[in-house]
Amino acid sequence: MSIAGDLIRGHTDAIILARLLRSDSYGYEINKTISSLSGGRFELKEATLYTSFKRLEETGCIVSYWGGSGPGARRRYYSITPTGRQTCRCLLEEWRETKDIMDKLLETEEET
Amino acid sequence: MRDQLIQYVSLLFAGAENCEDIRQEILQNTLDRYDDLVAQGKSPENAYRQAISGIGDINEILSGEQTFTAPPRTSEPEPEADTPTKKLMRAIAIALYILCPAPLIILSQFGLDNLGLCCTLAVVAVATVLILLGRKNGSEDDAPESTASAQAREVPLSGGQELRKSIKGLIGAIGLAAYFIVSFATGAWYITWVIFPIIGAVEGLVIACLDLTEGN
Repeated sequence: MSIAGDLIRGHTDAIILARLLRSDSYGYEINKTISSLSGGRFELKEATLYTSFKRLEETGCIVSYWGGSGPGARRRYYSITPTGRQTCRCLLEEWRETKDIMDKLLETEEET
Repeated sequence: MRDQLIQYVSLLFAGAENCEDIRQEILQNTLDRYDDLVAQGKSPENAYRQAISGIGDINEILSGEQTFTAPPRTSEPEPEADTPTKKLMRAIAIALYILCPAPLIILSQFGLDNLGLCCTLAVVAVATVLILLGRKNGSEDDAPESTASAQAREVPLSGGQELRKSIKGLIGAIGLAAYFIVSFATGAWYITWVIFPIIGAVEGLVIACLDLTEGN
């Protein structure tokens, strides 16, 4: 996951928002889902994940709260806000467009 | 292994201020990952290694966060304190030494030999003071192998001692100039030598006063 990894990492915010759209979650759970959805081919570093959380929190896309599950475990949960939902929709739309363009561009390149 | 992981994460954040929340969050995520890997059948060593590599570059976070204190570097503020001001002082002093005969030569043209000599000596005195004030922290240059700890010992010392040396030099130079000025002006060479014991007394007095004020 060298080049693909970089490409995906560029969309960390969108990925996190899309995860939180389903339910509130915490760092490791999100990362685990990312890992399993990508078939173990992609995973975010804690630092990257955290930086993204912080950015999203600052822009009001998500809010966090401390919650516990299990003995001694104190986890920081994240929850998406209405702003976050809107941002997520925008990012998804952007991605569809990008994907569409890339598909067309790369297809053309291959045919010529 | 789990304890080591906790220790590792704590060390990662050592020196970072106001990062307790981040530390706890990353520690919890890392522990979750470790537990998960062990539950999947990985050996504790492998799980430990994998969990650590999953953390990534922590500086990414810390650089965006509050101030990160770099402990060792700040503790040695300009050990070779050769500031531009000091360089300038030394340069001026040397220039004064070279130019010091000028008043004597010029004023002797007008028959004011004594005044000329006095001016020359005054110039020398000023130059000496400048040299003393503008001198490098010499004692530290002599011992380059003595590092941070030695400098740490040196700093509180040099503050007071430097001042003392400078004051001594200043008083000495002024006294010498006064001796010559008074002697030439009065011609009473047989008695003007008393200035030297007086200089000594004044020096002692000033140093004693300094000791007293610093002692408090």
